[in-house]
Formats: sequence, structure tokens, C-alpha cells
Amino acid sequence: MPGPVGLFQYCHVGLLCALAVFCAGYSVAWADPPENYPFQSFDKAMHQARSEGRPLFVYFGRYGCGYCEKTNKEAFSDAGVRQRYAEHYALAYVDAESGKRLRLPSGERITERELGTRYQAFVTPVFSFLTPEGEILGRMVGVQSKESLLVADDQVQAVLRQ
Amino acid sequence: MKAFLLFPFGLLFSAACQGWIFTEPLPVTSVQVRGIFHHLDSSGRRNIAVSADTVSVIWEDDRDGTPRVYLAHKPLTEGQFSEPLQISGAGEAFEPSLVAVDDKRLAAAWEEDGRVRVRLIASGRLGKTIDAGEEESAQAALFDAGEALYLARSVREGRYSRIRLAVISTGTRLDARLESDCPVDRKEPTDEQLYPVPAAVADELVVAWEDRRPGHTIIMAAASGRGDPCAFSEPVRISKRSGGTRNLPYGKGHGVSRVTLAPFGASGLYAIWEDKRNFREGYDIYGALYLGKGQFDDNARVQDDFGEMAKQWHASLGGDAEGRLIAAWSDEREGNSDIFLSVWSGGQWNESTPLSSASGSVQQAHPSIVLDAAGNLHAAWVERDEVNGPTRLLYSFGKAE
Repeated sequence: MPGPVGLFQYCHVGLLCALAVFCAGYSVAWADPPENYPFQSFDKAMHQARSEGRPLFVYFGRYGCGYCEKTNKEAFSDAGVRQRYAEHYALAYVDAESGKRLRLPSGERITERELGTRYQAFVTPVFSFLTPEGEILGRMVGVQSKESLLVADDQVQAVLRQ
Repeated sequence: MKAFLLFPFGLLFSAACQGWIFTEPLPVTSVQVRGIFHHLDSSGRRNIAVSADTVSVIWEDDRDGTPRVYLAHKPLTEGQFSEPLQISGAGEAFEPSLVAVDDKRLAAAWEEDGRVRVRLIASGRLGKTIDAGEEESAQAALFDAGEALYLARSVREGRYSRIRLAVISTGTRLDARLESDCPVDRKEPTDEQLYPVPAAVADELVVAWEDRRPGHTIIMAAASGRGDPCAFSEPVRISKRSGGTRNLPYGKGHGVSRVTLAPFGASGLYAIWEDKRNFREGYDIYGALYLGKGQFDDNARVQDDFGEMAKQWHASLGGDAEGRLIAAWSDEREGNSDIFLSVWSGGQWNESTPLSSASGSVQQAHPSIVLDAAGNLHAAWVERDEVNGPTRLLYSFGKAE
């Protein structure tokens, strides 16, 4: 298994959008973000990121996802990870199977499921770091350890300081 | 570089091998500009229908700032679709489903302001819109079985959504009326039931849907007698467990998504869906043959081995009375999204080939297909030059060889 640095890939791709997103309509089931974190829906987290000038941390999960649950229990359960991520990021959780609707600043309406396809969240979990403007700073794919999450946070914070 | 550019003759050959020769793509609507996004995303992907000699496509876009449902049609012999007809009302509308009721009429169902609505359409004339119940509902899918028009939808009941099936009376004019409406699973839901699709085969009525009762998403189905939608069998799981090599102490199971059904021949019925049992490369398209009495055969992978390392999405399925059965989906095996096809033949799915008019260097996705009475294949899809760019809504006619 590659180390945390190998897992974390900088992209600097001006992505998909500057994603000020709002949510509308029919709500469907949510999957399982880690406990005791202020994860929000994508639209609320994006709003928070913009209003507070914080980067966004997006967790693409799935209902019943074993590797998500493993990461939740073995990495996100760490108090140091919790403190760093809660302080440094606006936290968004996206159920990659959900039909919950979002609307991008471009005017396009997509579902959480389709948002996952845009961010190449074809497996779960996928973790993406975004600027408040929606540019991808980096992403991690698959199960994460406490160490890999802390290293990724260090790298993102270093990039933002540059 | 796409195969389209490298091997044009191979592609033409592949298209012919599937049994249809496709026309160049036609725009379904001329409103295809920056800021407008077309959606073909009904439950079961039933956005296209053929009634007598006319093909119709239904979709949602927000050309006036509000998401609304539109329909355009054209005679099979003509080369241009009609001006779009607004089907939905004043509210925000989503995920329309379309079906031919007879040689003259169509039925459309969609979600508007949180409720599923239905209306009949004939030659550009619109029947009165009816609400399919007072409850919050969404994800409508229609099926016309001759003796009745069936409407499946997901209805909010307290904490969870529950699949219900309604019988819609269509008479001979444009007045639709809700006749009966029952839950497909008689037991109270213990988790979400989503994205249903109905179909009739022989003397049975089958409904399939996404169900989260085991703690992850699975595909389930139940059967009833035609004309008797309040007597469904005990639901069965269609999508089988993955045979993963690693036993995690965590998680409940792999993910599946968006089932669709199509009858074919005198007694055939098939279900296909997106399936993440081989999770490393995203969804594959899997399916199962209906065996009758509420039971399905083992799962089979629909796309071929060459697509195993690529992502597949948006499964659509068409069948006809002569026994033809064809699957279409979005496939990224050639680097970006194309529409791929596979034909059910001899009890298995043939090799996957790109739909010649819906593959190439731009993004083609969200197919919706239907076979007409002559076995011709009609396909609509969404095309865009880049992942986040504006969309074009296109159609191609596949003449049966």
C-alpha cells in the first residue's frame, strides 16, 4: 500500500467549477460520515468555506461502504485528526449514490451521484481538498490512516501558505 | 485519441454487427446554448417513446431559469423535431418519464414541487395534469401494459421512502385518472426504497427498485398479477452479493444503482443496473433474467471484458415483441464518455460496441433507448464538448437490418 504522500496527489486543476452550490428538492438517505465531526451537505459547506475563507474537505462516501467505515473508525476517530480537520476546513459529505440535487454556479443542476462522477469518485471513499473557489488542491483515494490524514492536512496547509 | 478517429471502418462494422444502421445525430431541441443543461434522467431511463410513426423525447432543462419538463416529437420520416412543448406546470419539475399509450397517445409523469404528476399527450394537445397522491413523491416511471397504465414512484412515508404502484385509467381521450395505488412491499419500510421501474411480462407485473434495507443499496423486485397491483409477492433481492477477496470487519456490502427493466419476446423480461461489486474501477453494468413468479436468475455482467477496467453509468434497456433485447450505457473505456451497446443473443450479452453516432472525442452520456414495432432502435442522449460545458440533446435512428 502506498504511503500517505503517495496517496495524496496535487492536482491544481481549475476544476469543474467554482462550486457555490445550493440544494433543492426531494431529499434522500444519507450515508455515514464520521461521528462527532461538523460534516455538512455540500452546499452548506461550500457556503461556509466562502464566508470564512477556509478550504473545503469533501468526503465522497456511500451507504454501507466498508472502507469508509474502516477509515471512520480507525482514522477519523483520532482526536488530533478531528481537531485539525474541524479547525482547518469546511467539511462536506457527499453520498455518491444519492439523488439529492445540487446546482452549480454555472446553472447546471446535478445530483450528488453525478457530482461524484465529476470528481472521479468512482470508488468510495474519496477525499478531495478544494479551495473556497472550488479548485482541487489534492485528493486521496481509499482507506486512510490517521497518519495519512495528518500528512495530507500538512501538505494542504503548506500549499495554502505559499 | 478516440477509436472513432483511429478506426472509422471498424466502428461502422461494429454498428452494423449490432443489427442496426444509425443515422447521424439530430438535435432534439434547438435550445442548446451556454447556461442550458438538458437532463435525461428518469427512473428506469424512460425518456423516449414511439407511438405509431412518431418518436418523442421528454427531458428537463431550465431555459427560463426554472427546471421544467419539455417534449419534442417528429414523424419517423422527417429530419427535424417539433418545437418543444412544455409538459410541466409553473413549479420546479424534474425527472420526466414517457411511454406510448397507444398509436395516438403518450403518457408523461414527472416530479413537480415535490409530487409526482401525470398527463396524457396527443398530437401536441395536452390532457389535464393529475397528482399521483397528496404525499411527497418523486422518481416516477411509467409502463403501459395495454390493459392499464402503471406508474411506479417513491413516496415519502415518515422517515423513509416507499415504492408504490398506481394504476392510471387512460380511457380513449386525454383524461387520466388514478384508479388504485398500493405499496409494492406490504411491510413497512425499514430503510429507503428508491428509483422504481415497472414492467409487465406474460400475465405478471414486476416492479424493481433500489432498496437500502440491508444497510447498503441492493436491487429488489416483486411481482403481481397484471391488473392486480395490490397483491405483490414478497420482494426478492436481484443484485447478488459480491465475492470479494477481502473480508472487512466493516461495511455492509457493495453499491448498486438505478435499475431498469424491459420485456422482450412473448415471455422475456430482463433487469439491468449499475453495480460496484468490482469496486476498483467504478460501476459495471450487471443484469438478471426474470424467471417468473417474482424470481430472477443469477447475475450476468452486461458489458464485455474490455470494459472491465473502465467506468460504466446510466444503464438503459430496450426490448420488442420479436425478442430483441438491447442494453445501452455510458462507457469511459476510450478515455471519455461514449454510448455503448450490447445485444442479448443466445442467452448471453454480445460484445460491447459504441453507438456510432454517439461516440467520439466529446462527452456522450445518459442514453435512453426504445425499440419500435419494426425493431428499429431509437436513442436519445446528452452530449457536451467538455465535462462542465453546456449540453446538447441528440437523437439517432437505428434502422433494423
